[in-house]
Amino acid sequence: MSRKVRLAGVLVLVLLGAIVSGCIGGQQTTTQTTQTTTEKVTVTWLSTQLNPPEERAFVQEQLVKEFKDQTGIDVNFVPISYTDLATRLEAEEKAGKVTIDLIADLHGGLDFFASKGWLEDLSGRKLEGRTFISTFEKYATINGKKVYIPWMSATYVMVVNKKAFDYLPAGLTKEDVMKGTEKWTYDALLEWAKNLKEATGQPQLGFPAGPKGLLHRFLHGYIYPSFTGYQAKNFDSPEAVEMWKYLRELWQYVNPASTTWDAMGEPLLRGEVMIAWDHTARIKNAIETNPDQFVVVPVPRGPKGRGFILVVAGLAIPKNAPHPDEAWKLIDYLTKPETQVKILENVGFFPTVQEATGAIPSGPLKILAEGVAAQSATPDAVVAMIPNLGEKGGQFTNAYRTAFERIVLKGEDPEAVVKELGPQVKQLFQEMGQEIP
Amino acid sequence: MKVKSSYIPYFLILPAFAYLLFFVGYPLVQALYTAFTQNGQFSLATVRKTFADPYFWDALKYTIALAGVIVPTQVGLALILALAVNRAFKGKDFTIYALTIPLTISDVAAGLIWYSMLSPSGFLNKLLLNIGLIHQPIYFFGYQYRHMEFLAIVLAELWRATSIVFVIILAGLQMISHEYLEAAEVFGADYWTRLRKIVIPLLKPSIQSALIIRTLFAMQIFGIVWILAGRDIPILAGEGFYRLTELKEYDVASIYALVIAGLSILLGALYIKFMKAEYLEVRR
Repeated sequence: MSRKVRLAGVLVLVLLGAIVSGCIGGQQTTTQTTQTTTEKVTVTWLSTQLNPPEERAFVQEQLVKEFKDQTGIDVNFVPISYTDLATRLEAEEKAGKVTIDLIADLHGGLDFFASKGWLEDLSGRKLEGRTFISTFEKYATINGKKVYIPWMSATYVMVVNKKAFDYLPAGLTKEDVMKGTEKWTYDALLEWAKNLKEATGQPQLGFPAGPKGLLHRFLHGYIYPSFTGYQAKNFDSPEAVEMWKYLRELWQYVNPASTTWDAMGEPLLRGEVMIAWDHTARIKNAIETNPDQFVVVPVPRGPKGRGFILVVAGLAIPKNAPHPDEAWKLIDYLTKPETQVKILENVGFFPTVQEATGAIPSGPLKILAEGVAAQSATPDAVVAMIPNLGEKGGQFTNAYRTAFERIVLKGEDPEAVVKELGPQVKQLFQEMGQEIP
Repeated sequence: MKVKSSYIPYFLILPAFAYLLFFVGYPLVQALYTAFTQNGQFSLATVRKTFADPYFWDALKYTIALAGVIVPTQVGLALILALAVNRAFKGKDFTIYALTIPLTISDVAAGLIWYSMLSPSGFLNKLLLNIGLIHQPIYFFGYQYRHMEFLAIVLAELWRATSIVFVIILAGLQMISHEYLEAAEVFGADYWTRLRKIVIPLLKPSIQSALIIRTLFAMQIFGIVWILAGRDIPILAGEGFYRLTELKEYDVASIYALVIAGLSILLGALYIKFMKAEYLEVRR
């Protein structure tokens, strides 16, 4: 037994040794690089995006490797959570000892960092051979300063099984839906859904209303802005009450199993619904499996316009970053049209430069990209950004889900429910010191 | 190195003890701390917040209701199946294998299998429509059909987890000596009398283990409910998970975890107290 105990002890020691030496080794390389900048540079890239293991592998094995082959600059890709990034950046900026060279985060986070004065103004720097989509360019400029370079985007769209076009209501054409014209409204959707249910005997509209589904994004970023003009500001307005009444009516034509669905890819493929709303990444597999069967279309419009969410991830350089020029080279590489297409193909995020849209090979991805582009290009767009409420983000989305459950599923009085929840929603923004969107 | 032989049991139990201390004890203490403190002070605010939420009571109700329906049905079914299989017949081994196949399937996979069978365009509805028994598909899923969802969960759970009870009871049956039964037969006891007076009492230890295992697992039921009903049918483990991952309410999630732990301990204690197993050999 004693031999076994000794063996176990040795094993533990070896393991500890490996961990400790790994840590020390890591620190040594960073100190070395700061001393010998001219020889070999490692860019430290902190990212809240592309964190899942398979996406991480794509960054490390393809993007970082190709960049190193081209420039000889090494990249240390560090996946990090939203709160950890904020804490670390704040600590480093306040201590005056910055180790981060490049940040990849969503618009909300970068907007917040910029307001604290932690990001470098990138206005003076130029990128050749690419035109950024103007909406993204506009959002990246805050108070006259260019605080980040738009890198990737994502959104939520509608997917239509082509068979559903046979049951369009009078006055609405396939063109209207595909292009997102004025006639493609929420009322038209209601008519269409009604036709579909009457013709097929089953409700054919679907939403991801399961516990991990993204229905709350539809509520605060799509239907609320479309009916009230704002995500949260008019949460308890008379227009909102009308909106909830509409949604309750629409729900008669929504597949009841929606409350158990977390993503719409599978129900679309199984043929349980013909029209679905979801995040592009979550319906990608349906379109890739059956590209001939589905089209991606813009969402309908409401009385106040066509509300939709734009998820923008940007690249920013913190003030006093140790290697700003090398970080800029990495930004240059990451926003090249070829790189952007590669990102779309591998992880399903959409390009932010116009040249990349033209470079997408035909096939399933083209169907997605065209739908997304059509939605972004609609003239009546009411663009919503996901608010950055930090750890209170869960409470924000939960308020919308609660309203949905109580009004639509349990049949409670919409006016009473929104009057009760409205102040709670607004208080979240006040607590975080943010404007109510 | 010579170790005093009386210490050996302690040494042998040490790894298991260390494991439990680290993976059960430490999180338990942490959960207690998270649940009952606020800003480092003792506080019942989280408890009040959790108990004020209707979801908590629904979750408690549904968890107990599911266990109440599923566990007795499973034990009854498993007993019948075990008695049926515990005799010599052609294809006995194959039958036992077939009955234990669901043991190898994870609860999430089982949920998905049953989902595709019961969905409006699934196997069951197609079958019933084709033989003309129904003209509209039966809806099993969705908030409006919570009773059907409950039924679907019960079906899936029975299919998935009856086999573990079956295996335990079959093992117990095979340990019963034939001498008792033969003796009873000599004295003219019929099948039912033998079953009631000999088989069931001798099976009590097996039934007790099966009941404890199944009831405790029923308190933690999660995957199948999550797949088939989402939050339409709230359950304790699911609500704890939702609070933790979606709302980041670590304190409320801790209360859910503690309620599950508390229920498990209570039920385990009740079983042990009220179901004194009788071992014939010991009672002389």
